[in-house]
Amino acid sequence: MARAYKCLRPGRVGPFSGYSWPIGEWVEADDAALCVRGVHSCRTEDLPYWLTEELWEIELDGEVRQEHRKLVSERGRLERRVEGWTSSSAAAFAEACAARVQERAARAAGDGAERLAELAGDAAANAAKGAAALVGYIAARAAEVDGGVDGYAEERLAQARWLVSELGLDAG
Amino acid sequence: MAQVETAEAELLDALRAGQESAFTALVQQYQPSILRVARIYVQNPATAEEVAQETWVAVLDGLDRFEGRSSLKTWIFRILANIARTRAQRDGRSLPFSSFGEESGGPAVDPDRFAPAGERWAGHWKSYPERWDTVPEERLLGGEARRRVESAIRRLPPAQQQVVTLRDIEGWSAEEVCSALEISEANQRVLLHRARSKVRQALEAYLAQG
Amino acid sequence: MLLSEDLTCQELVELVTEYIEGSLLPEDRDRFEQHVVLCDGCAYYLEQMRTTIDVSGSLTEEAIAPEAQEDLLRVFRDWKAG
Repeated sequence: MARAYKCLRPGRVGPFSGYSWPIGEWVEADDAALCVRGVHSCRTEDLPYWLTEELWEIELDGEVRQEHRKLVSERGRLERRVEGWTSSSAAAFAEACAARVQERAARAAGDGAERLAELAGDAAANAAKGAAALVGYIAARAAEVDGGVDGYAEERLAQARWLVSELGLDAG
Repeated sequence: MAQVETAEAELLDALRAGQESAFTALVQQYQPSILRVARIYVQNPATAEEVAQETWVAVLDGLDRFEGRSSLKTWIFRILANIARTRAQRDGRSLPFSSFGEESGGPAVDPDRFAPAGERWAGHWKSYPERWDTVPEERLLGGEARRRVESAIRRLPPAQQQVVTLRDIEGWSAEEVCSALEISEANQRVLLHRARSKVRQALEAYLAQG
Repeated sequence: MLLSEDLTCQELVELVTEYIEGSLLPEDRDRFEQHVVLCDGCAYYLEQMRTTIDVSGSLTEEAIAPEAQEDLLRVFRDWKAG
């Protein structure tokens, strides 16, 4: 059995399936409301791509496939909510991302400088709204300006590390 | 599926045996859809009624030849399409039904609503579409919204009109539509996408009137 | 310099039907959903398309006129009589 995380909308609702997840009950992949391919969940490094209002620990069972930016399993059981993930920690996450963009912009010289300055503005504006997923994305795009695809991926990992340490997640 | 097939086989037996109740059930089930589809081809309501009637005659005459390789429903609508097409041609309405691929396309959303190339968020919304989940249901599903949608569908090119009518108004599956119209899955999706995108635009224009 | 993985909103609106139909390749579905998670504009757009489908589905069927039903029964009786 494996532990993973699941990003849900308020009230334990799947952001795409619209499925209301029960707590503590096994949910099968072929339950009508879910993706036919399986129950989707996140390793900690996948979380920055999928952040929503609620974060839950989920236990997985059966075959678990590691896919790009997610896990897909036969069964999943919602265990408990990560209480530390709230609108204020989401705002703190966004601020931390925006701060990294700001640092990047301050260091930048040459072609990318102007673009990074603009992205820093975008990140700050959206961080003020607490838009965690969006600011995470902007920060990754900013990292891409000087670091290319690897920079993008590294920034996402930095975001995941923030979540692990600030929320006390199990990085597996 | 097996149940559906059994029910259909029983219905066919009853029809072939001349049971009037079986025919009445079939008419109740399909006549409204047949009329709706016929009107896409011929427009004149009286002509559409005639096309529908001709379709039923052809269905009855063909019953013995029907082998059940497609469902009864798609078979009926294929007959309808042939009759309606012939009738439209005879009346001088030559609709491009044979060239299902060559329909006016255009983007789903006005390109002006996205930031232009060269800007840092090129291709992203300049300003977001409105939320509709906060629009009162009586406005969204009320008579006027439905009229706007209906008239938007009527203004679509025929093939798009046909696909969206069968899929979204009549609730057919993609497979049924492909089979009845004899088009590919990919073609069906393209037509449906263009049709739905334009219907959404019409609804958006209506809701924006406040 | 766009990461090939990132969809723009303009690309996304052209994929909405395939997304709803469930005919996107798994990797494209993931790209679609990752975009929707962070883009309220596209989330609203997706919702609008679903609502549009619902409104189309609510267009009422006219009931069959009794005369039409009678006409068709006559067709049936003629056919039966051969």
